Amino acid sequence: MAESKAYQYWMHNLPGIGDRTIEKLLKAYGSAGEVYFAGEESLKKVIREDKARKIKDFSGNWALEERYEELLRRKITFYSLEDAAYPERLRRLSHPPYALYCLGSLPKEGGPGVAVIGARECSEYGRYMAQAFAGEMAGAGISIVSGMARGIDGIGQRAALESGGKTYAVLGSGVDVIYPLSNRRLYHEIIDRGGGILSVFPPGTEPKKQNFPERNRIVAGLSDALLVVEARIKSGTWITVDMALEQGKNVYAVPGRLTDRLSDGCNLLIRQGAGIALSPKDIMAELTVLANRKGEEGKKNKNKEEKGEASYYNSLRSFLDFYPASVDEIWEKMRKAGKDIEITDLLHKLVELCMEGEAKQVGSTYFVKQGKNDAL
Amino acid sequence: MFSTVLSGTVYGIEGNLIQVEVDLSSGLPCFVMVGSLSGEVKESGERVRVALKNMGIHLPPMHVAVNLSPADLRKEGTGFDLPIAIGVLTAMEKIPLRSAEGMLVLGELGLNGEIRPVKGVLPIATGAFKGGVRKCIVPKENAKEASIAGLRAAGVLHLKQVIDYLKLPEKERDAELPPKMADLNWPFKEPSQKSFYKVDFSEIVGQEGVKRAALIAAAGFHHLLIKGPPGGGKTMIAKRIPTILPDLSLEENLEVSSIYSIAGKLPKGSCLLKERPFLSPHHTITPQALSGGGKIPRPGIISLAHRGVLFLDELPEFKRQTIDLLRQPLEERVIQIDRSGGSFTFPADMMLVGAMNPCPCGYYPDRGRCRCTPFEIHNYLSHISGPILDRIDLCVDAPRVEIGQLREGQKGESSKSMRKKVIIARNRQQERYQGTPIRFNSELTAGEMEQYCGLGEKEKEILEKLFASFHLSVRAYHKLLRVARTIADLEESKQVLAKHLQEAACYQIRDFI
Repeated sequence: MAESKAYQYWMHNLPGIGDRTIEKLLKAYGSAGEVYFAGEESLKKVIREDKARKIKDFSGNWALEERYEELLRRKITFYSLEDAAYPERLRRLSHPPYALYCLGSLPKEGGPGVAVIGARECSEYGRYMAQAFAGEMAGAGISIVSGMARGIDGIGQRAALESGGKTYAVLGSGVDVIYPLSNRRLYHEIIDRGGGILSVFPPGTEPKKQNFPERNRIVAGLSDALLVVEARIKSGTWITVDMALEQGKNVYAVPGRLTDRLSDGCNLLIRQGAGIALSPKDIMAELTVLANRKGEEGKKNKNKEEKGEASYYNSLRSFLDFYPASVDEIWEKMRKAGKDIEITDLLHKLVELCMEGEAKQVGSTYFVKQGKNDAL
Repeated sequence: MFSTVLSGTVYGIEGNLIQVEVDLSSGLPCFVMVGSLSGEVKESGERVRVALKNMGIHLPPMHVAVNLSPADLRKEGTGFDLPIAIGVLTAMEKIPLRSAEGMLVLGELGLNGEIRPVKGVLPIATGAFKGGVRKCIVPKENAKEASIAGLRAAGVLHLKQVIDYLKLPEKERDAELPPKMADLNWPFKEPSQKSFYKVDFSEIVGQEGVKRAALIAAAGFHHLLIKGPPGGGKTMIAKRIPTILPDLSLEENLEVSSIYSIAGKLPKGSCLLKERPFLSPHHTITPQALSGGGKIPRPGIISLAHRGVLFLDELPEFKRQTIDLLRQPLEERVIQIDRSGGSFTFPADMMLVGAMNPCPCGYYPDRGRCRCTPFEIHNYLSHISGPILDRIDLCVDAPRVEIGQLREGQKGESSKSMRKKVIIARNRQQERYQGTPIRFNSELTAGEMEQYCGLGEKEKEILEKLFASFHLSVRAYHKLLRVARTIADLEESKQVLAKHLQEAACYQIRDFI
């Protein structure tokens, strides 16, 4: 078993040989081991001459078993299309990747998985939505698949971990290359908490631009539904969306304001027929893992008329948004609402809300709403 | 014949008295000048010779020797023309001997005998006054300036006038040329209600958050950083900060005016500055221009901003080397410049106001427009070196002002009413720090914090919570306390209370976004 894997690992590392050629070779020889022992002349019949020569040249320098043992020593598991443990979801793709490297574990077969993806440079709104959706779905036992990129990807996966769920990151580099580096803590935590780092690229591969479309295809392939949180009209997210549609997966988009360039992609998706993600339950319903709906009825707002300080805080809360508002804007709104307040009082009240975790300061004197996921 | 006349030169920012000695003796006819002279002083001999000739006075065919004593002090400037001319005339016995005794003489000569203004009169006159001199002859334009230092200043326009003046016996001179004498209160006589600034805070509509921060900065003399997209009014606000600082005291004014006199930048027809300086150098400025330089250094931009505001627009665009220069002045409030000519210390007690875009494109946190990566944004801020950021106590965002807001047309708070608040806060600080070298809250060091910003139990608890929820660093701790102390002073509160701490927390610089 281990030996045959060593051949497969060898085959996946052949220079200039992609998944298509491997497919051809497997068709002709049946297994990686057979390919390894095939003579140059025999290979020439199946593939181009120069490629056959390259294979022979390369094999001379490849210490078959040591290489594979090194892989195992680094705790990287190697799955190939020839393995039974290869994820079924990927096998069903029209051109399944030949190999999959994994640090940690693979998503559970048959367990529900949702890809949460979106812009790298996200807004506070996007951040909040990614947290809310990914957090709740992961808490309900759905694994969150994403690309561990900056922005929405990483935020969603972090939220999944924080709500005690599992998350899987598909990288555009080798599994041992942390990219982006700013997510290194997330990277280690994903592994520690029973999730996995996956990649179809051999360890050591640098995160090259051309790798990412393939990465996105795998993200779509490993999930049952796709949720786009925030995306511009032109962005890498669209590749994932196209791949998911090609694979027959449902695509959901979080709607946004028409004036927000970062929501343009999502709104366009909705027009094109994507599901409108108004709440995580929309997606969970499709996956038939309805969350525990208990206690939801009692959540109605019980706002009564309050006097004095409390009323100030309440109107402050109502003026805070997921879009950063400057102190001046909030002040203006307060005054228009008939709540005259000194700017100094406003500032310290805002800070108080920040300390309570109901608001957050961004930039220097901008504030956004923050907090419990009761908005959805 | 031999004669001496008293003159002076500026060395660093101090005026030094110089004896101009002239001797006529038989020998080969020539005009020799000695005494460690710079180029423009050496040329003075030629100007004197031609000016005298054009007035019909020919130098005798004798050996003329001029010595400027002390001979080892480097002399610069054009103010020696007039004393040399008087020295020569005295030696030629065209003017009675000792007629200019005890008088400070300064002035540049034109070839027709006209007397032109010179730089640095105020510090030289101040130095002379300290040296016991009480009278002076200076170009008419500089007379006011010299009189401020306490001298009886005769302002002259032409060499001929000087000759006539000196020929008169002492008693009749005042009638001929009434001396300027300073009424030291005159710059302050004008009703203080009337501001001498051309700008006012009331012209700024909106931006209340930034105005509030500017008020706090002015009250505690804190350095301030304003972040915001282009067109948010950062420069407008910075320009108006001098208008809410208390007026210059006489002592401060003399200091500042001396520096301006040396730089030749005193406003025409006036001898003292009324306004606090506001300097806004372009970001391509060289380190020397900022710090001051030259063989005998001249004050640079930071010294010109002494007691006023140094505004650095587009702070991250300045060369790091240039910005790092500010470290000493921000710490010690002086700048020391060492040159081959000696070591000079210029005052540089200014309030630094920096302005910058929040990110390279300028629109963060408006993510609809800003596509800068967090890394880029972080990088942009890190153009400014840490030690400088450490010294900046307040940081505030100037959001974009929408056109609709402008049309509402109500006026903002006026500079006058803001200045009143600043003065109240300043007075409280003065009272509290009496007998210590501290003047403002911004000068509080870590050790003094406990004594002056003592917190109650409740406040300590709040502070701890603040640090946790705002992810503040340790170095932010002292900044926060200093700013909170100033806010408390503005609110006329003896104790630093929770709400002061909370407001101060808003103004902290974030290490990352």
